[in-house]
Amino acid sequence: MAPVISINGFSYRYPDGTDGLYDISLDIAGGEKIALIGPNGSGKSTLLLAMGAFLHGHGSIVVDGVEANKKNAKQIRRAVGSVLQNPDEQLFMPTLLEDVAFGPLNMGLGDEEVLRRSMDALGIVGLDGMKHKAPHHLSAGQKRSAAIATILSMNPKIITMDEPDTSLDPRNRNNLTSLLKSLKQTLIIATCNIPFAAALCKRAVLIDSGKIIADGPVEEIITDEKLMQSHGLETAAIPESIDF
Amino acid sequence: MHHTVMDHLSMQDTFLHRLDARSKLIAVVVFTIVVISLRRTGVGIIAVSAVGPFAMLLVGRVPLKLAALQIGCLCPFIMIIAISSAFYDRSVVTIAFGAYELNTTQGAIGAVAIFARFAVTMMAIIALSATTRLSDLLAAFSSLGLPKILVMQIGLLYRYIFLIIDRACHMLGARAGRKLRYLGLRRELSTSAAMIASLFATSTQTAQRVSDAMMARGFDGTIRSLKKSTFSIADTVFLAAVCAYMALLLAVKGVI
Repeated sequence: MAPVISINGFSYRYPDGTDGLYDISLDIAGGEKIALIGPNGSGKSTLLLAMGAFLHGHGSIVVDGVEANKKNAKQIRRAVGSVLQNPDEQLFMPTLLEDVAFGPLNMGLGDEEVLRRSMDALGIVGLDGMKHKAPHHLSAGQKRSAAIATILSMNPKIITMDEPDTSLDPRNRNNLTSLLKSLKQTLIIATCNIPFAAALCKRAVLIDSGKIIADGPVEEIITDEKLMQSHGLETAAIPESIDF
Repeated sequence: MHHTVMDHLSMQDTFLHRLDARSKLIAVVVFTIVVISLRRTGVGIIAVSAVGPFAMLLVGRVPLKLAALQIGCLCPFIMIIAISSAFYDRSVVTIAFGAYELNTTQGAIGAVAIFARFAVTMMAIIALSATTRLSDLLAAFSSLGLPKILVMQIGLLYRYIFLIIDRACHMLGARAGRKLRYLGLRRELSTSAAMIASLFATSTQTAQRVSDAMMARGFDGTIRSLKKSTFSIADTVFLAAVCAYMALLLAVKGVI
């Protein structure tokens, strides 16, 4: 399958001079669910931001056939839906419905289509009964689902998620796993939670110090004790009930 | 928290809640202008003007204790102005309550009038905010001509001010957990300054990430909304009643 994201020799340096990413090359096929794993500060979030055209460095990132640069940022963001680590920063409108409708309205869609897409997205994440609620009245799990709905309503080809399992209890994490498994889009998840990555993705990319250390089937990478421990990560067993 | 209480109140279902936010907003703005334009020492007419917002609180099922508490929280600011007014004009006047007479000063009456004006207009504003969802109020601001970017700023301020307050509370809790004694004024001040700086830095980071989230969803500086306000017969009746009430207030202001 042709890659929807193709990264070639991409490097990024933070304004303070620290190397964030170094010579990253990666191809991601359409419909793939891929976990970017690595310790804190390894460059996972930076790579996600670069895929969404929020950061611009050296080398190339091509998303859905379009070069990710400042000029093409709007086009890139139609293709890539970014779910931030903290849902409070993603949910900024007075009500849930308005928040979910924010993206489709900016895409220039008609009111009926916006409403249909928004209600569909809320239905997928199970929050359609809460459309008039203010985001600050939602629980942590509901906020996470709502943040995903804000992106689903835009129907992007690719969804990037930064540490989506943070501050979720096991029940909410399982709900989130089921929801993410059911999505048809290409999914790129940055996480330190190895069991979560194992339950969701077929492929894992291990990043440390801004470089790709390993890229392959999730079961091979997360069970390699030496590799995982040398990069400050824990190993995990592949769940038996895993259903891709 | 306060905003949660107000949010819950604004989600009730009463006649006042069902009205278009624009008609309530217009009514409160006109009422405030009329009350401010009343005679400086006209305490009686201000008392009569309190009937309107009081009725709004009752119809909107807003707890009077909550309204009184909110007015009480804000009154220290206006009290400073009111008290200074009492010293401004010391000419003696006599007020008659039937057979009883009370000697006081023009300034003291002015002070009472300032406070009464504040309390009455605050009652109207509380009635508005407790019977109108913020999203509807923002849409009303926007459709009545307030610049959309300003409306967006108010919405974001309301959305994030509580998050910042929560962060400040967590920082204060963390400080209290490690600060076991008074450190002296200089160190206390420098610690507080460091906390404020840290809060400012995290707020700036939050603002940057909110901006990223907006850009990620195609925001180009134009605020678009799904809200389509509708003006009903009830709104017309409400505004007509408000106009009649205002006319009555203006007609009797020279008498009372």
